[in-house]
Amino acid sequence: MIPRFLLGTGRADGVRHQASLGALAPAGVAATVVYVLFIGLPIVALLARAGQQEGFLAGLTGELVMQALRLTVITSMVSMVVVVVVGTPFALLLARRRSTVLRVIDTFVELPIVLPPVVAGVAMLMAFGRNGLLGPALGGLGVTLPFTTAAVIFAQVFVAAPFYIRAARIGFAGVDPTYEEVSQTLGVSPWATFWRLTLPVAWPSLLTGLTLAWARAVSEFGATIMFAGNLTGRTQTMPLAIMTAMESSLGSALALSVLLLAMSVLALAALSVLLRRTGSTA
Amino acid sequence: MSDQTGSNGASGHFAVSLGDFRTELAFEVDAGRILVLFGPSGAGKTTALRTIAGLVRPDAGRIDIAGRTVYEDGNGAGARPVWVEPHRRGVGYVTQQNHLFPHLTVSQNIAYGLRDRRGDPARQRVAELLERLRLDGLADRRVWQLSGGQQQRAALARALAPRPDLLLLDEPFAALDMELRRELGSELRATVRQFDVPVILVTHSREEALALGDEVQIIDGGVTVASGPPLTALEQPGRGRVARLVGVENLLEMRVTARLPQDGTMVCAAAERQLETPLADGCAVGDTVTVGIRASDIILATGPLPESSARNTWAGVVSAVTLRPPGYEVTLDCDGVPLRCHITGTSMEAMGIGPGLPLWAIFKASSCFLLSE
Repeated sequence: MIPRFLLGTGRADGVRHQASLGALAPAGVAATVVYVLFIGLPIVALLARAGQQEGFLAGLTGELVMQALRLTVITSMVSMVVVVVVGTPFALLLARRRSTVLRVIDTFVELPIVLPPVVAGVAMLMAFGRNGLLGPALGGLGVTLPFTTAAVIFAQVFVAAPFYIRAARIGFAGVDPTYEEVSQTLGVSPWATFWRLTLPVAWPSLLTGLTLAWARAVSEFGATIMFAGNLTGRTQTMPLAIMTAMESSLGSALALSVLLLAMSVLALAALSVLLRRTGSTA
Repeated sequence: MSDQTGSNGASGHFAVSLGDFRTELAFEVDAGRILVLFGPSGAGKTTALRTIAGLVRPDAGRIDIAGRTVYEDGNGAGARPVWVEPHRRGVGYVTQQNHLFPHLTVSQNIAYGLRDRRGDPARQRVAELLERLRLDGLADRRVWQLSGGQQQRAALARALAPRPDLLLLDEPFAALDMELRRELGSELRATVRQFDVPVILVTHSREEALALGDEVQIIDGGVTVASGPPLTALEQPGRGRVARLVGVENLLEMRVTARLPQDGTMVCAAAERQLETPLADGCAVGDTVTVGIRASDIILATGPLPESSARNTWAGVVSAVTLRPPGYEVTLDCDGVPLRCHITGTSMEAMGIGPGLPLWAIFKASSCFLLSE
């Protein structure tokens, strides 16, 4: 017998659906237990080891950790500003207009999600590197991109933007254009209609997309190490710092890992609180 | 054209193409009156409304609202092209699905088009509209907490709030049940008078067109096929195409067999049957005509009336009975000529009507009208 507290009442939609799972219920419970342990165990192990590890507390406030934390927070914030400023009008166009060119672009928007990040890093070197496609032009302007903080932001935008654009496009597509037309007949200009109608209605999708994009930017590793390198204080974000610290100081590596874990949990919690708040007022 | 319309009315004529489909329309409506555009779906009614609202750009023509030209193609002598954007036209637009903004409350929806939404005048305007459209107490409700009728009234209040110069209603009651439609319909008439705004209403319901229109334009295939006061245009349509559009149930191909000028009637026959219709000037004996009879203009009886003023009495046998809310449609087979009649459920039961029952259909000559294609 499977205990009641595990199966619940089958009232996801307010109706009792006791028969809907049938013989699949035990399989579902078993799979749930396996999966929760699979994800939970390493996280518990990380926290447990961090608590015992010598140098963990010192690592938390150490120079390596502080520098990586500061750099990660700043670059990911700048990346998100870029993603929102460019991604929002782009997603709106994808959601509202149909043309062959847009449809092709739409298909490839998610390419950076499936592309291995290391490949993205190599590709950006080929484009913006000293001997890359735009290298001579950039050099002529006195601009060097690879192995700078700007390169970190480039890498983050490259891999993270699709998460926001995809969610924003779905959010905007969910707003029937007739709403926008009715808004205009009420004397509200197209620009004001976007701010007063389209954006608030699509807001939950945008927020979810932004959270996912930010999480992806913070965890970015492969493209960054290829294109920006691993320079302490300039390009060494938290994931890179963890890899560096694993060779010398496990305490610092654990400190960075626990910090990243905390940031991820906080982001998820903040998202769910914000979504619930807009859900209750919207 | 139509420049004589009062400065509070709206008028225009335009041609607009969507893909292969072209709509050409001229319209004119005064303040406080309702012009109904009636026609089947796909006739171009909605396109016409959207063109007047500025949501679709026409190919040619001119549109005036409240004495201001909002569109002019500039093709005429001395005419300059004019295009006023939808948000500057002062046109209220209510859709069938009402499109109330889901992220706002009822009062926020109504205040949406007002200038200073938090100021006292806006507050007063919203309160006034909530009261006039019987939405008091619902101000802070979410849109999805309203019933269908309340949603439609809220959408109307939102469109009226910025004092539009023209109100466009696209099948505003189509999603509602019959009773609510009638109730909202009479409310709409009162509201339109009160606010003294010209209204163009699109519908495919004959009942709605009859009940609401001061003037009706019957639209099909992108053009106006008939227009006039609703009773004339819809109840005694002069043309076969229009009759089919407005749903005249009985259309009979007949031959004129005699003219009776002393009675002002003539006799037409088809197969073994003959009937009297009003005398038509252009018809000679031997001509083929199409006679229209509304199903609701026919009286059914279990025997022939001994003495009556009705000129036409046909005996027949019930061949089919179908539900047609609020009553029934009885099809009578009269020697191969089917005659459709509408009766109430009470009459059905009282007369014990069912397939196979012999019945007499009685109708006046004046209920028969001649159609030209």
